[in-house]
Amino acid sequence: MIGTLSHYSGRSALALGVFYLLLATPIARDWLEASMSRHMLVQMPLLVVIGIIAARLVPGRMQDSLLIRLGGAWPCVIAALFASSYWMLPRALDAALTDPWAEAAKFLSLPFLVGFPLVLAWRRLTLIGRGFVWTNFFSMLAVLGWLYIVAPVRVCNSYLVNDQENAGWYMVIASVLLFFWWLGTLLVGGGVGPDKPDQSGSGRTFA
Amino acid sequence: MATYTYTPVPDQGAKAGVLAYLVISCVVLLLMMLFGLLMRMEQAQMISIGALWFYKIMTLHGAGMVGIVALAGAAIMWHFLRQYVDLSTGIFMANLILFLTGVVMILASVLLGDFHAAWTFLFPLPTTSMGMWSPGAAALFMGGLLVIGVGFVLLHLDIARAIISRYGGLGRGLGWPQLFGPDDGNAPPPAVVASTMVTIVNLIGLVVGASILVMMLINVYVPTFEIDALLAKGMIYFFGHVFINAVIYMAVIAVYEILPRYTQRPWKSNKVFLASWTASTIMVMFIFPHHLLMDYAYPKWFLIMGHIIGYLNTFPILIVTGYGAMMIVYRSGIRWDMCSRLLFVSLFGWAVGAMPAFIDGTITVNYVMHNTLWVPGHFHTYLLLGMVAMVFGFMYYLGKPNENAPDSALDVAAFWGFVIGTMGFTMSFLYSGKISAARRYAEHLPEWVPYDKIASYFAMLLIASVLVFIFRFLTRLGLASRDYQRASLARSMAT
Ligand code: HEM
Repeated sequence: MIGTLSHYSGRSALALGVFYLLLATPIARDWLEASMSRHMLVQMPLLVVIGIIAARLVPGRMQDSLLIRLGGAWPCVIAALFASSYWMLPRALDAALTDPWAEAAKFLSLPFLVGFPLVLAWRRLTLIGRGFVWTNFFSMLAVLGWLYIVAPVRVCNSYLVNDQENAGWYMVIASVLLFFWWLGTLLVGGGVGPDKPDQSGSGRTFA
Repeated sequence: MATYTYTPVPDQGAKAGVLAYLVISCVVLLLMMLFGLLMRMEQAQMISIGALWFYKIMTLHGAGMVGIVALAGAAIMWHFLRQYVDLSTGIFMANLILFLTGVVMILASVLLGDFHAAWTFLFPLPTTSMGMWSPGAAALFMGGLLVIGVGFVLLHLDIARAIISRYGGLGRGLGWPQLFGPDDGNAPPPAVVASTMVTIVNLIGLVVGASILVMMLINVYVPTFEIDALLAKGMIYFFGHVFINAVIYMAVIAVYEILPRYTQRPWKSNKVFLASWTASTIMVMFIFPHHLLMDYAYPKWFLIMGHIIGYLNTFPILIVTGYGAMMIVYRSGIRWDMCSRLLFVSLFGWAVGAMPAFIDGTITVNYVMHNTLWVPGHFHTYLLLGMVAMVFGFMYYLGKPNENAPDSALDVAAFWGFVIGTMGFTMSFLYSGKISAARRYAEHLPEWVPYDKIASYFAMLLIASVLVFIFRFLTRLGLASRDYQRASLARSMAT
């Protein structure tokens, strides 16, 4: 599989591309963006996942050379952190709804500045780096959700207060569940990293 | 059934990083003890520093002590764990640097910014100072705690990484295959089991702690983001209780590792041992509600859970460790030196210190006893005579000049001074609790003052003894990094 795109990954890439375009159709966008919870917790994560899968379809050697050209693992992680933080701002959500350029930026930045570089970096991160990204993510998600729940004002012009509260609760619940899932992977074997000789490094699990 | 025999392993000296941790621990411990003495003397009306300074010192003493015993515990854990798994020195030092940065922030917040809302930073006190301190001072204090927390997260992630790459998962680090399957005798050694437990619970505690700290930091500047005070209290106590509990589980590694070297009997990671550590991994996260039993607004089931799990968690590790130590020592002809004495007495201190908490964890007792000096009586006993005794035992071990080096009369006197001083000091706390002296009062009623005075004298004895311990360790720093046999073999072995 290393070196060239196999038949299998060619088909997967095609399916992924179709899915990406589907997400971008007005119907899908209207439905997913009609509620804050779906916008933040379904559409945006799906865009990140597209970036993640896309990166994993790239042959290992090409990933390595890309990573070197991008300056190594940490610049990739930092880019992903900043890009994802930006899309946590309520303003950014509003903009995506009203400004087509912002919407386009969202569709491009979440896969290519968050999902893609994270995967590139992931192979090089030990459990410390990964754990740092994860624990940071869990507490950010929980705090953001909490802020949405207790916010004294409507933070997005485009969504109602109860929608904002729901989104907040989903974020808190998601962060708790994800945290326990991650701990679970550490308890039973998980946490593959470059220092684990029995793994290729591309990762059996994502923890 | 697995059989266990003791395989002698050489006594390793401490790395420079471990020594740096320990030296800093000595300095801060001593300073914080002096602060504690000042508080007690203020309550005893022997000095007069005023309420503002009392609470500033109380905040520093609480945060400083919790932080420094965590640092000392981490040094012990790292020293021994490193002998089984491959730990990163860089991360170990990064933790120290982050710790010191956090300490400077906390010191500045309290000394320059007058912050004095206690180390528990209970919501909404830090944000509602009524002009006593600025929002900036509160933010600096909480920011300092956050920085210290980040350091510990890194340290625990490194430990998790190392244990996973050596054993293949934290579950294996806890010895689950041997616990739930046949015991093939290949369970990880106690040092690894304990470190795994501490890593799991601290990671959870620190993530929860970071979340509430960030939320409160936002609330400092934008108070309209209101926080549910009950939820905040729950999260703070979860974090604080897990963190301070974990400290003794780190330090007890010294007992597991060093006592067997004296008697050449192995400390077994048998099924009972593994079961108790796994049980405590879970239970230690559910016992904090015993601090909340007075908050009637919590759901009843939550408080009852705190009561029951509080009862249950008092025992497994304590009994397994106490019993294990007895088995190691019983009729072994062990030679008592400063190290073995301190380690042995630490188990006594831990056991005795757990009892008042057990009693206070009973809901009906709690209504009367909580928030009295009974509670400081409990945790000072198990932390001073338990945890801190383990740290000094470890220091004596590192600095012991040779296998048969005798202890000077001064050291032995200091040992007894420490034991008697601590017992007297903590018993006065407990007795003050019994007569309903409230905790965290700068000024005491005349009826309480005699006990405060007695406590102050015992505290002076204890601090004088600690001075001897610290002096001895600092003069032996050169020896502490060398590899040689330190433990004196038990008489039965040596002859
Ligand atoms: C010579 C040794 C020590 C002395 C004289 C001392 C004295 C005191 C005093 C007088 C208080 C305030 C009690 C009150 O009125 O509420 C206190 C609180 C406290 N001490 Fe100590 N202490 C000593 C050692 C330690 C150690 C070794 C630790 C931890 C490892 C520790 C942790 C604490 C904590 C967490 C508090 C609670 C602060 C608060 O209520 O916010 N102390 N100590």
